[in-house]
Amino acid sequence: MARAKIKRGSTSVDMTPMCDVAFLLLTFFILAAQFKPSEAITVTTPSSVSNKVAPQKDYLNVTIDKNNKVYLDMDNAIKSDVLDELGKERNMKFTPEDKANFMKSAFVGVPLSQLSQFLKLTPEQLKGVALPGIPVDSANNELAAWVSAALSARLGEQLNLLIKGDDAAKYPTFKKVIDAFTANDQYKYNLVTNSRDVPEGSELYKKNLREHEANAGKPQQK
Amino acid sequence: MAEMEVKESKKKGPGVKKHKRHSTRVDLTPMVDLGFLLITFFIFTTTVQQPTSMNLNMPKDTKNPDDNTKVKESGSLTLMLGKGNVIYYYFGNDPATMQTTGYKDVRKVILDKKKSTPAEDLFIIIKPDKDATYKNAVDILDEMDINDISRYAMVDPTPDEYSKIQQTEVAGGVK
Repeated sequence: MARAKIKRGSTSVDMTPMCDVAFLLLTFFILAAQFKPSEAITVTTPSSVSNKVAPQKDYLNVTIDKNNKVYLDMDNAIKSDVLDELGKERNMKFTPEDKANFMKSAFVGVPLSQLSQFLKLTPEQLKGVALPGIPVDSANNELAAWVSAALSARLGEQLNLLIKGDDAAKYPTFKKVIDAFTANDQYKYNLVTNSRDVPEGSELYKKNLREHEANAGKPQQK
Repeated sequence: MAEMEVKESKKKGPGVKKHKRHSTRVDLTPMVDLGFLLITFFIFTTTVQQPTSMNLNMPKDTKNPDDNTKVKESGSLTLMLGKGNVIYYYFGNDPATMQTTGYKDVRKVILDKKKSTPAEDLFIIIKPDKDATYKNAVDILDEMDINDISRYAMVDPTPDEYSKIQQTEVAGGVK
């Protein structure tokens, strides 16, 4: 009897397509990744059960650090208009160099009188320097001027006001920041927080559960 | 590969050297390994988490006292946030009946009040004092969300209340 000869296949597989896929994915992830800009101000935000994502567009972000210093940053898209408006409102002249520096700067952390010098500093120079922060006292609330400039720059369109406070920041500073907003008739803010789970058994937990069940039940009743 | 193969197996003739042909195929397995290792690394190090935000609406400043929100005495609970993560609370209008609690136990106080009060009368007044931290304020606002309290306000404590908090703090040795 002639035995059927089983052809032995080679155990080595052609790795080329797999290699292609792996590097394609790698390239995609590297290009798609948004690198987090190193933050000049370190802030530990408190957590909340809120699961809304903080707005990333048209925002004006006020940061309060643990030493109760107030810093400001904003959406790059509105920066140039805000500086123009601020110059108008405060009768300040900004040179084109100042403006270019402002566009590059990550945040503002000094009173208006020192703004020009502050903008000349590079991020490397800013490291380890104790900045005075933006004055928020009721006598000289420069933050209110910034907010007012930002509002004029937006021409009545929506401006998301973010407050990002450090756990250890004191309440009075937070209150002064709110005062700067209310002085400009702004009453809605977003407090930047880390999300945490809703405690089990709490009222909100039950409410979410009911809503979930109601939504899940709908297609069955049909 | 850099070495030349000099071994000559068969001589076909004088001066005719046969070069051994190397396979052009390279083993790609280590490269694939490296590729996937990098992918895994990037996936794990990418932060998916975006910061969330909590909405806070403040009331308009009213100059006219008649425009202020009226709160029923029977339905009000005042929470005063003091130094060292301590909460002082009282029901109604009498700060003299002030009691002390912490951030872990305040939920019970709020829920008890919520159960014993008609929903439309319930009003929680939050008064963070000068020594409260931003975290305290956010925690208590979060507590309002957790306990599904729709009516609350954040105001400053009166000088009387503040001095009472300070007395309690001094007496209790809170630094």
